[in-house]
Amino acid sequence: MIRFDNVSYSTNGIKIISDVSFELKKGDFTALIGANGAGKSTVARLCNGLLKPSRGAVNVGGFDTALVRTSRIAKFTGFLFQDPDRQICKNRVRDEIRFSLECVMEDRAEIEMRCERTLKAFSLDGERDPFSMSRGERQRLVLASILATEPELLLLDEPTTGLDYRECMHIMECISVINRKGATVLMVSHDMEIVQDFTREVMVLNDGSLLAHGRTKDIIRDESLLARASLLPPQITELALRLGAGYENVITVDDMVSAVKKKRGGAE
Amino acid sequence: MGGFLDYSPGDSFLHRLNPLAKIFLSLMLSVSCFVTDSSIFCLMIILLNIAMAAVAGISSRALAMLRTLIKFCAFLFFIQVFFIREGNILLSLPFNVYVTDKGAMFSLMMVLRLIGATLPLALMLSITKMNDLSNVLVERVGIPYKYAFSLTTAIRFIPVFTAEMAGIMEAQTARGVAFDTKNIFKKIGLIFPLCVPLLITSVRKIEGAAISAELRGFNCRKRESGYKSYPFKTADIGVSIFALTLAVAGVFIPF
Repeated sequence: MIRFDNVSYSTNGIKIISDVSFELKKGDFTALIGANGAGKSTVARLCNGLLKPSRGAVNVGGFDTALVRTSRIAKFTGFLFQDPDRQICKNRVRDEIRFSLECVMEDRAEIEMRCERTLKAFSLDGERDPFSMSRGERQRLVLASILATEPELLLLDEPTTGLDYRECMHIMECISVINRKGATVLMVSHDMEIVQDFTREVMVLNDGSLLAHGRTKDIIRDESLLARASLLPPQITELALRLGAGYENVITVDDMVSAVKKKRGGAE
Repeated sequence: MGGFLDYSPGDSFLHRLNPLAKIFLSLMLSVSCFVTDSSIFCLMIILLNIAMAAVAGISSRALAMLRTLIKFCAFLFFIQVFFIREGNILLSLPFNVYVTDKGAMFSLMMVLRLIGATLPLALMLSITKMNDLSNVLVERVGIPYKYAFSLTTAIRFIPVFTAEMAGIMEAQTARGVAFDTKNIFKKIGLIFPLCVPLLITSVRKIEGAAISAELRGFNCRKRESGYKSYPFKTADIGVSIFALTLAVAGVFIPF
């Protein structure tokens, strides 16, 4: 679905991304993690052609992003930005979802059908003014308008920043559902708990270079790797690492409970 | 490199001038372009602007702005040149469209004046801190701080809104709006719906800035509150005389 071949990106003489290569297959759910300024958002923007590589090639859904317009790639790609207010441009929730659909399709009946279905699925009031909604609700509206287009590739640039736990879980559940339906998801995130709970693969970026790309459960237990990228493992993983033997497979709270019970049982 | 109105730090002769002298210089350069009838004089003012930008170490920014202005002015020139029907015909085209010597000269002067009057203002804003600008307006000109602050904040917000607009266009392109079209008219048509998010974010930013200023005791501030003084030195007087001479020369220049 996405292939980066020795991609570098520079702007104003400053190298942001350096010689990055990776491949994401259809249906993958991958997180892109790294410290501030590591180049995560740049990689996400390179994925849908908002930025063109200075060197190397980015291939998305069979298109070389340097050769096609972003609006063409947007026909099968959804991009959720951190700030929902940059994406909302209509005064009614219904119009906002409809606008997204109109950008990628022409069949009026299909647009209306998908619009109503999305409103229902996300429990949104179609007549409401988006700018009177809370930040979490606005982010959910933007996600709804993206998912209404049924994208094959979903790019998320820190989608849960500034949201409370409930809103955060709601957004991530919606993303998981579309991933289970076959969409490829690439998520830029700082939240290691979210990364651990929802993604299957992780890429670690540091200073514009790709440090590692592997299974989430392997990457988040590699403390030295995470330290090189100025990151910390999720708290439950850190606890498991400190406890040592018998806690090697602990990734979630449930895993920890099982491991502790097993230990206690053994001691008894 | 920042936006064309962002402050560019430096320690050049122009940077060190009193902000009031810089305002006067830019104002006189603009005035001289409007009072003169000489295209060569206008051209000299534009070259002087570029030279001053080089002295201030912002020549690349000035040239980038000059390029943008030339593109815009070329559009204006071609519209204007066909609307003036007086004078001797220089070029005759089908459908009774022609270009006259008066039309060509008027259009040329118009674009030279526009470039010559815009560049000094941008240059002055690029080498003056907004705080210094508002402080000097309060201390030396006697403008109430509220108005001076409002003026400089409005100027400071221009690059912020430009960046915001770029971000909004990027977000809309990502959802499939064809901002990456080569058709300029189509692009202009697509920009109108973006006024809504831009307006909302602008109002939010302004409201946030106003509340923040209020909470820091903005209304308690008096004319004497500024701790920096802005003395008018010999160099400032010299530059002001030079600027005034240019404006007067613009009226009497014979070529």
